[in-house]
Amino acid sequence: MASVSINQVTKQFGAVSVIRGANLHVEDGELVVFVGPSGCGKSTLLRMIAGLEDISSGDIHIGDTMVNDIEPGDRGVAMVFQSYALYPHMSVQQNMSFGLRMNGNEKADTERRVQTAAKVLQLKPLLARLPKQLSGGQRQRVAIGRAIVREPQVFLFDEPLSNLDAELRVQMRVEIARLHKELQATMIYVTHDQTEAMTLADRIVVLRDGLIEQVGSPLELYHNPANAFVAGFIGSPRINFFTGVATEYAEGHQLVQLSGRGSAVAKVATTEALPSGTLIKVGVRPEHFEIGGACGFPIKVDVVEQLGSVSYLYADTTSEYPLIVARQDDGDHRSDELTISIRAGKALLFGADGNRLR
Amino acid sequence: MRRRNLTAYGFLSPYLLIFAAFWLWPIIYSFYLSFLSTRRAPWTFNPSMTWLRITQDTAFYNALWNTLKILAIQVPAMVFLATVLAVLLNSQLLRARGLIRFAFFAPVVIGEAAYAAVFRLMFNTDFGIVNKTLQAIGLSKVDWFANPSAAMSLIIMAVTWRWVGYNAIIILSGLQSIQTDVYEAATLERVSPRQQFFHITLPLLRPVLVFCFVLSVIGSMQLFAEPYLITNMGGPGGATETLGLFLYRQGFLNLNFGYASAIAYTIAALAVAISALNMWIGRDRT
Repeated sequence: MASVSINQVTKQFGAVSVIRGANLHVEDGELVVFVGPSGCGKSTLLRMIAGLEDISSGDIHIGDTMVNDIEPGDRGVAMVFQSYALYPHMSVQQNMSFGLRMNGNEKADTERRVQTAAKVLQLKPLLARLPKQLSGGQRQRVAIGRAIVREPQVFLFDEPLSNLDAELRVQMRVEIARLHKELQATMIYVTHDQTEAMTLADRIVVLRDGLIEQVGSPLELYHNPANAFVAGFIGSPRINFFTGVATEYAEGHQLVQLSGRGSAVAKVATTEALPSGTLIKVGVRPEHFEIGGACGFPIKVDVVEQLGSVSYLYADTTSEYPLIVARQDDGDHRSDELTISIRAGKALLFGADGNRLR
Repeated sequence: MRRRNLTAYGFLSPYLLIFAAFWLWPIIYSFYLSFLSTRRAPWTFNPSMTWLRITQDTAFYNALWNTLKILAIQVPAMVFLATVLAVLLNSQLLRARGLIRFAFFAPVVIGEAAYAAVFRLMFNTDFGIVNKTLQAIGLSKVDWFANPSAAMSLIIMAVTWRWVGYNAIIILSGLQSIQTDVYEAATLERVSPRQQFFHITLPLLRPVLVFCFVLSVIGSMQLFAEPYLITNMGGPGGATETLGLFLYRQGFLNLNFGYASAIAYTIAALAVAISALNMWIGRDRT
């Protein structure tokens, strides 16, 4: 296993900058997830590590080796593709052993590695089958098995669960987490699904428009986003944003008058006072509301999602981003008119440029 | 029958009638004809003049042998060339892709008479560009139309030229149906481009290649235009006479329709048999 270092890496397709100066160090044995909306450059960055895309500038190290000019096959990486990319005419066994066979690996060793991987992934009964005779989840396990037998320095996953249905995705997510623990391997995982990122990652790298917006542990990103984009991208259901005007500052808390919400006021913990009258953005996670309260505002619940352990109340459903409030009780709140307020100290403040005000 | 169905058949009937009159009926009638002696009126039932004759006719065996020779040399050579061409056409490095693809496909669109005339000119013994070139590089000129082997190779070259692009386009579509990330996966596994071709591309192309073989076998069995137009009706001395040409000679020059029908059925049976053999050899064993 090895660490991966990305230094000042850029990627240009003609005049278009896809990666605009990325810096990142992935520790040996770490599982890092690249997440971001489609087109943010996360897959491109992964493919640059694999060597499937050239690097326009900067350098990439795997372990102590600079790999910029090293062929993909010699970098010691194995990749799992979204489409599985299995060899359609080869059995599961042949799919897993193909690379080793082509490289003249000793037969007994190849067989041992395939058997070990098959055991880890519960593929033993399927070894003689063709890809077309397997379900999506099984195919992806074969693709992972093919990566394992190579005993790579780094595993790369390019949206490996996107073609699976919801239930299988959860299963495979757990399986990948288990594998990571068992193999103690360095893994870089690309997804657009923030839930996958939150549940799998040691650290998450949030990308937007070819730039790394923030790197941190899942909870760090959730509780302490660096800007409004990260706050909006991480967390499901989505964080609620309000616009507001800074008013008073007292005892380490900034008071913010929410626009268009009557006399509602948010009380946010910050280190310094904002000039009174500053226009700001307030982010509130669905679970950071409470019913009632003196400084609240009224809402009319349009839709309720009851998930058992928690219910989500949706108001303002005609706007692009409805207001979402989490409640722990099982009551039917449809058509309710409630007053809600923001829990003191729980809201996040963002400046006009989107950056966090702490 | 339900009314709707009747209406549907009503609309279909003009086609069905034409199909029956000009397609189905000739097939059935020619089978009947193949048992008749048609050398002089009145036609009489006499299979020994058709089916028995075919087993004894040296001219038939000559045509059959010529056809099989073309089949055995031209079809594999052409499919091989077509595969190479398809791989080249599929290259990322290729510029003016559409134009080049059209250029290779164009021979199929050109009229047979025009292309035959050009080949006759190019291979003309005294002033053709081919012999001129051979002489320029110090080789002796070849009498393409009088030497049996040379005439045969001329037919093979002509047919290959005409159909290689067509087959390449079919193979190209097969190549493009192979997912690119399969190759990326192989590249990451340190599988060389050569190994990728032999262990991934070729096996995945097999159904398409079998299709090309079958198509070309059927085409060769019916080969007519090239020996008729380029080598003067199968010349020299029947050295390039194919089954198609032999059939034409019996049917439309000698007006011996019974015998021609028997030949037609034999050609069809051979084409089916060889194609079936092809498909059996190229079958999916997995």
